[in-house]
Amino acid sequence: MIEVEALTKRYGAFTAVRNLSFSVRPGEVLGLVGPNGAGKTSTLRCLSGVIPASAGSIRIAGHDLAADPVAAKRALAFFPDEPRLFEYLTVRQHLAFVARIYGVARYEELARPLLEELELVEKADVLPGELSRGMKQKLVIACGLLHSPSVIFFDEPLTGLDPLGIRRMKDSIMRRARDGASIVLSSHLLHLLEEICTHVLILKKGDKVADGTIAEVAAQFSNGEAGVNLEEVFIRATGGSET
Amino acid sequence: MIGALLYLRLTSLRNLVVFRVGRLRQPKYLVGTAVAIAYFYFVLQQRLAMPGAPAAASAPAIADTRMIGMAFICVGLSALALIRVAFAWIAPAEKPALRFSEAEIAFLFPAPITRRALIHFRLLSAQFAILFTSVLMAFFFNRFGYAGGNRALQAVGWWVVLSTFDLHLNGTKLTLARLREKASGFLLWRAAAVAAIALYVLAVAWSAAAFASASPPGNLAGAREAERFIPGLLGSSPLHWLILPFRIAFGPYSAAGAREFGVAMIPALLLLALHYYWVSSTEASFEEGSIALAEKRTAAKAAAQRGDLPAAGSSRPKGRAGPFPLSPRGPPEIAFLWKNLLSMRSSLLNRRTALLFLWIILCVSLVLRPLLAEYARSNRAEAYGLLVVALCCIVAAYTLFVGPQIARQDLRNDLPNADILKTYPIEGWRLALGELLAPTAVLSLVLWFCILVSTFAVDPKGEAGWLTSGVRVTIVVCLGSAAPLLCFMQLIVPNAIMVLLPAWYQASRSRGAGIEMFGQRLIFTIAQFLLALLVALPAACAAALIFFSFQWVFGVGPAIALASAAVLTVLASEAAVGLWWLGWRFEKFDLSTESK
Ligand SMILES: Nc1ncnc2c1ncn2[C@@H]1O[C@H](COP(=O)(O)OP(=O)(O)OP(=O)(O)O)[C@@H](O)[C@H]1O
Ligand SMILES: [Mg+2]
Repeated sequence: MIEVEALTKRYGAFTAVRNLSFSVRPGEVLGLVGPNGAGKTSTLRCLSGVIPASAGSIRIAGHDLAADPVAAKRALAFFPDEPRLFEYLTVRQHLAFVARIYGVARYEELARPLLEELELVEKADVLPGELSRGMKQKLVIACGLLHSPSVIFFDEPLTGLDPLGIRRMKDSIMRRARDGASIVLSSHLLHLLEEICTHVLILKKGDKVADGTIAEVAAQFSNGEAGVNLEEVFIRATGGSET
Repeated sequence: MIGALLYLRLTSLRNLVVFRVGRLRQPKYLVGTAVAIAYFYFVLQQRLAMPGAPAAASAPAIADTRMIGMAFICVGLSALALIRVAFAWIAPAEKPALRFSEAEIAFLFPAPITRRALIHFRLLSAQFAILFTSVLMAFFFNRFGYAGGNRALQAVGWWVVLSTFDLHLNGTKLTLARLREKASGFLLWRAAAVAAIALYVLAVAWSAAAFASASPPGNLAGAREAERFIPGLLGSSPLHWLILPFRIAFGPYSAAGAREFGVAMIPALLLLALHYYWVSSTEASFEEGSIALAEKRTAAKAAAQRGDLPAAGSSRPKGRAGPFPLSPRGPPEIAFLWKNLLSMRSSLLNRRTALLFLWIILCVSLVLRPLLAEYARSNRAEAYGLLVVALCCIVAAYTLFVGPQIARQDLRNDLPNADILKTYPIEGWRLALGELLAPTAVLSLVLWFCILVSTFAVDPKGEAGWLTSGVRVTIVVCLGSAAPLLCFMQLIVPNAIMVLLPAWYQASRSRGAGIEMFGQRLIFTIAQFLLALLVALPAACAAALIFFSFQWVFGVGPAIALASAAVLTVLASEAAVGLWWLGWRFEKFDLSTESK
């Protein structure tokens, strides 16, 4: 469960996100879309506690992120747009490290299927420097999912993955949602979002333009037309010139 | 062609300055720069206020100390240069070609530029830094400079020294590159070069020792005696010729007046020209090697950008087993200790550092041998002890003040991963604690060794009545328990600087020279010292007070124990405050706002 109330993020005098409110219930997948610089990454970084919000409140799985950050963070996982790994830890050691941080008692039982699912078994004793970008991303995901988070944030999870990887990623996200996780992901791949997401939130220059299920948002911008796809909605909502 | 390269250098320099000046709008950088400028201003004021060097005869006392100081500078720098060159031969870098930046390689190497122009570009780039350093040196080491006290001449003197060294090092690298290219006998050549250097060092040491034993110096602490001894030593027959190259290079710098300067310039410039000829005539082989190198690098870079695996065969660190088995249960701080020890092993314990360490030991023992022999002759056992204690103190001081700069497997190393660290369900202070554990542990080990050795080396015969073994053990235990806290505090400082001024911190990590770097390092060092003082002062005061008031009542041992209990309490509370503050800052820290 994610509840966001009047979230505002300022960088100095510049406001990147303004007065944003929404909530994501267990089992829902919210797609965060918007043009470059709309504030998607800023929002996700605030939600996951990487940077403090300038104003507003964020509740993760019932814990207020500002008041009780440790409890809130125990329930969440955040995947930044660039895979970030520790230079001198092998794939397996990454998992051991993360397990200790989150106190995942029997992590080895969890790690093996995760590694198999992500096809990293052969690379288990290799340093990140020898992994390809896609593999790094997979390792980051394995680390993030080790503690079975109930709230997951993805920033552009699909870039850099091969077609099979994208398919796997999609399946994995939808399975986590079915298991009761609340998920927020940002992406520019709108046709993929249409498949994964139950809800969308359109941001433009830090403001919320639309929010709701895909059908609701489509209806809002369809002007009575039928079968308007998300791409068309996106362009209309963010004031693209083609209309 | 050189025009375009010069343009690149100058525009980059200008944009850098514009960028740096723009950053001063952030108050913390403004304050930092103001401090640096104030320091420089202060130092320059002092230096400029000092009267120019009077003729040696008119102020003999000053001249003596100046002469000794300068002899030390010249000998010290020569030794450093020799070590650096020897090191280049012992452990040549994987890529022994000249250093170019990534962008320079990407743009210049595929460009239709002759390799000769590239070498010139490299030499020219170095000249910016060298010129700057020369001017700086002329001011800072003015106290010992001769050249008639003329700063401009001194700067030129420094320029000669630094340029010669830069050329020599580049020549060495190019020669190494050529030898490596030929592949056959690379090791043999290197062994021969190293042997030659070793022989040279031995010859110098032997001839110095021969002179010293032939006309043993009196009390060297007296300036007059030193004034007699040092020129005599440097002028003694084999040594005089052995150190000729160094004497030529340092000639202009150490000239006593304008006329001597002019005379000394002639051989110095000749030496420089010889070096220049060496570097630019090695060019032919640099050509092939550098094309291959450039291609390899560009290919590797492109591959990395595509996300491909790097080509096999490039030497990369290998995965290693953890320092201890990490169970998934327990305090998370230990996970950071485990991780950082692992990365320490991979990044600090490699062939290069091992060789460097061996080399240092070799040099130190070479220097110490005559000293030891002297002490053995005087037949004072405790002198050995004092020597050991002195060495331990030096090592301990280095560990406390330089150690934190070398053992940086803490928050500083994890700077790129700050985003990830902040999503961990751990309070800021616990995260900071965990991150600092590994370097603290390593530095503490070194300190403990020093404490242990020096405590039992003092007064081995037990002549001082009060120094019973009980007292010794107490001292070891007390100092030993304070050591980790001291290391910890010293490590908090650079981490705090990183969290406060990440842009500076990152800049100082990248290689480079110039005032920026100099100023920053200066501030870092000053901050480190000041904070060490600030931390140690309350503890020391409390300890002194307690020791002197209780010593009469309970005796030395218990008084020491009581005093150190006080010290520990003070240090621990200071460490706690520092840790809490660091954690709090780290929670507020956002790298992305800093790189703007
Ligand atoms: N650290 C920062 N300091 C100042 N401004 C920033 C910072 N980070 C982001 N911004 C600004 O905030 C706005 C939103 O940036 P953000 O990275 O959130 O966009 P985004 O929606 O993720 O864009 P993209 O689709 O390109 O990833 C942009 O105008 C950006 O310039
Ligand atoms: Mg983004």
